Parts: sequence; structure tokens; C-alpha cells
Amino acid sequence: MKYLSDYRDGKIARSLVAAIHEAATRRWVLMEVCGGQTHTIVKQGIDELLGRVVELVHGPGCPVCVTPLEQIDRALMLASRREVIFTSFGDMLRVPGSYSDLFRIRAQGGDVRIVYSPLDALEIARRNPGREVVFFAVGFETTAPANAMAVWRARELEVGNFTLLVSHVTVPPAMVAILEAPQNRVQAFLAAGHVCTVTGWTEYEPLAEEHGTPIIVTGFEPVDILEGILMAIRQLEGGRHEVQNQYVRSVKRDGNRPAQDAIAKVFKLVDRSWRGIGPIPEGGLGLREEFADYDAERKFGLQSVAAAESELCRAGDVLRGNLKPFECAAFGRECQPENPLGAPMVSSEGACAAYYRYGLHRKSGGTGG
Amino acid sequence: MCLGIPGRLVARNSVEDLPMGVVDFGGVTRDVCLAYVADEVSVGDYVIVHVGFAISVVDEQQAQRALKLLREMGRADELLLIRDTGDLVDGYQSGEAR
Ligand code: SF4
Repeated sequence: MKYLSDYRDGKIARSLVAAIHEAATRRWVLMEVCGGQTHTIVKQGIDELLGRVVELVHGPGCPVCVTPLEQIDRALMLASRREVIFTSFGDMLRVPGSYSDLFRIRAQGGDVRIVYSPLDALEIARRNPGREVVFFAVGFETTAPANAMAVWRARELEVGNFTLLVSHVTVPPAMVAILEAPQNRVQAFLAAGHVCTVTGWTEYEPLAEEHGTPIIVTGFEPVDILEGILMAIRQLEGGRHEVQNQYVRSVKRDGNRPAQDAIAKVFKLVDRSWRGIGPIPEGGLGLREEFADYDAERKFGLQSVAAAESELCRAGDVLRGNLKPFECAAFGRECQPENPLGAPMVSSEGACAAYYRYGLHRKSGGTGG
Repeated sequence: MCLGIPGRLVARNSVEDLPMGVVDFGGVTRDVCLAYVADEVSVGDYVIVHVGFAISVVDEQQAQRALKLLREMGRADELLLIRDTGDLVDGYQSGEAR
């Protein structure tokens, strides 16, 4: 219990931990699907604390990590073109492609700019009418409304030199893919609170029903996670499988309707390959036909590229929950945050980076669980 | 990128018909698109902001807690990014855009 003193709400946390131990008659396997949750779990040692009754498996909750290698390589190709200003969230710059990353392309003279919002990228396009501005549209349903608005505005304001390189992913199909994998061990999910702030949770209801899997919409603070785990354990022990909302202070059942409408106007569901997991039917969003002019892949005629993953990287196993980061032979050796071999070591939401920052001792000292 | 940052809405405006507002993230301010919370937000409210868009309205206490947690998590980089890219969009920020 060495980490408990660090909790903000120590008392509540302690009673939740006690309640979880009381509720569990056996050890259950839970997966969290939000990189922020992974970060909190590893940092606070929640997995170790509950190791006797819960195994926490870290899911593909990091959009940076699941952006397919081919899309990174396309980004690198675009960013190398002289007429292009390539704009992106900062997280993507160090993600390794087959042969380079955006940082290196920038060092070699590529015009790569970090933006905070896709509207900033649109503004750059308006200020540089002689250049082509491409925005790397990655992320889950949380960033999709923002990227949808950027495209919508571009059309409204008749900005002709703005396009998106789209690599949006949608969470529920990935959860299905994990549950239906033959080696799956996950018995309940902690769903991502902020994704559900946008989408609500109606989409999760048939999923919980069909697969007999409890799904708890959970926040990312330590107490949120403990409460989410307790709700999941109580369902599992009681033989129930429902969608429950732990994160009531931000999530409503129907989510944010205006944001959903914006996504639906601009994007449609498409099959998308997730890095480390493979192709997922309807696992992502692509631009609707009406917005084809804003699709960088079309505008620049980008063909499919042959992409090669690092042979050492086991990110696929990590993202599917079959391998803990420290079980990867390259972890902390060939692969470190400054020189990542795989995407999960890049973003602070990635599981490998979280373990590198907070869980290094576990490699030598055992898991304590 | 999926966590979002809570901040307090200190002013509302509209830029080329897009509902915008100024949000104070513990001392750093910048313009944020309010299109997705336009009907439920008022000046003084706390909002969760993802990549420049408010996606939900929250109460002050939880906003403060989340902000503290983000700092602990080393997500201060996002706050810095907000500050550093702020001038990039000055033109449309203040509503005097073209
Ligand atoms: S530690 Fe590095 S090489 Fe190993 S799985 Fe994680 S990202 Fe890949």
C-alpha cells in the first residue's frame, strides 16, 4: 500500500480499495481504454495495489499509438514537399514511421508546425494562400468534432489550400475486436470518460449485452478509476453485464449532440487499420464524399506505401493487452522516450512511456501483484 | 490529446459567425470554439477544452482538481502549447478577423 499516501483523497481511496477487496471472490481481468487512465494507474501503482483481485490490462487508449504506420509514412511524404506546410498536434512529431519521423523531416528543412487546434491550422492556410496546408487529423471521438469543424469552416470560408490527412479511429469497434480475439482475457472494460463525453454510451449498450461484458464509463483521476473498478467487480461478481456511468460529472447518456452532429456531417465510418492491432471494420472515420476536396490523400494522389515496423517492437501485443511493456526486450534499452522504436513509447498517454516514467522498478523488482 | 484541459470562460464573442470565447487556463488565456456547448455555457462557467473546442461544462471544484492532476501528469506541455500558439491566431482571436 505504499502508494496510497499519494492519493489526493486518501480516505476515499482507501475505502474504495477495501471495498474492491471485499467484493472480489476471485481475480478478474479488466481493461482500461483511455491513455490518461493508464497513466494514472501506473503512476499511482493502482495495478500493484489491487494485484491480488484485479489484473489491469492496458488497452489501445492512445490515439497516437494506434495511428497506422502507413499514415505516418504518408505524413512524412507530405511534410517533405516544398509547397506544403504540414501541421500537427505535437504528440505526433516523434512517432517513428518506417524511415524517419516528423521532427527529423523538420530538421531537414520540411515546414512542420505544431498547432494546438485544427482551427489554428486553418488560419495558417488563410494566411499563406500560396502554400498548401495539410493538417494531420488523428484521434478518437474526442478530437473528431474539432477536426470536423475545421473542414466545415474551410468550405464555408472557401479556403482552397487546406486539407486533412485523416487517420481518425473510433473506440467501440476496437473493443469488439479485442473481445473477439481468440486469446482475449478481458472480462470488463473501463471506457474512456472524455470519449463518452462526446459520444455518450448508447453505442456501448449492445456491446455489453452481446458479449456479456460490463462496461464502466470512467474518469481518469485515481478515485474515478478505483470507483470504476469497484463497479465492474460488483457486476462481474453479480453476473451482470451492463453499461454503468462512473463519470457522471462530465458524461451524459446521449453525449454531446451538437458535436455528434458535426462529426456525422463531415465524416463517415470507414474500415481502418489500427497500428499494432490490424484492420478493424468501421474502426475509423473518413471524410464524406462532399468533402473530398479537403482530403490530402486525394489531392496529392498518395498511393499505398509499403511500411515496415521495427522488428524489435512488440507494440501490437502491448496494445492488445497480451504483453506488459517491461516484458518487451527493447523496453528501456533500444527503446526509450527520447528514441522510441514504437508509438507507445512516444506519447505520455502510451503504456510503454507510462511504465518508463513510473514503473521502471517493476522490471527488476517483480510486479508485486 | 484525449484528456482535455479545464478552464474558465471569461468572455464570449463570435468570429465570422462561429461562437467563440476567451478561456482562462489558470493564467494563460486563449480563444476557444464554443460551438458544441453554445446553448449551455455562460461567462464564468468552467469548460473542458479539447484541442481548442469546449466539449462540456463542468463545476469549478472538479475543474481545479483536473487541472492539478494534469500538471502532475506532466501535461503542462499542453498549457505551454496553448500559450505558445496563442499569437498564431491573434487575428481571429480578438474578433477583428478578416
Ligand atoms: S517498449 Fe518500445 S519497442 Fe517495446 S513494445 Fe513498447 S514501444 Fe515497442
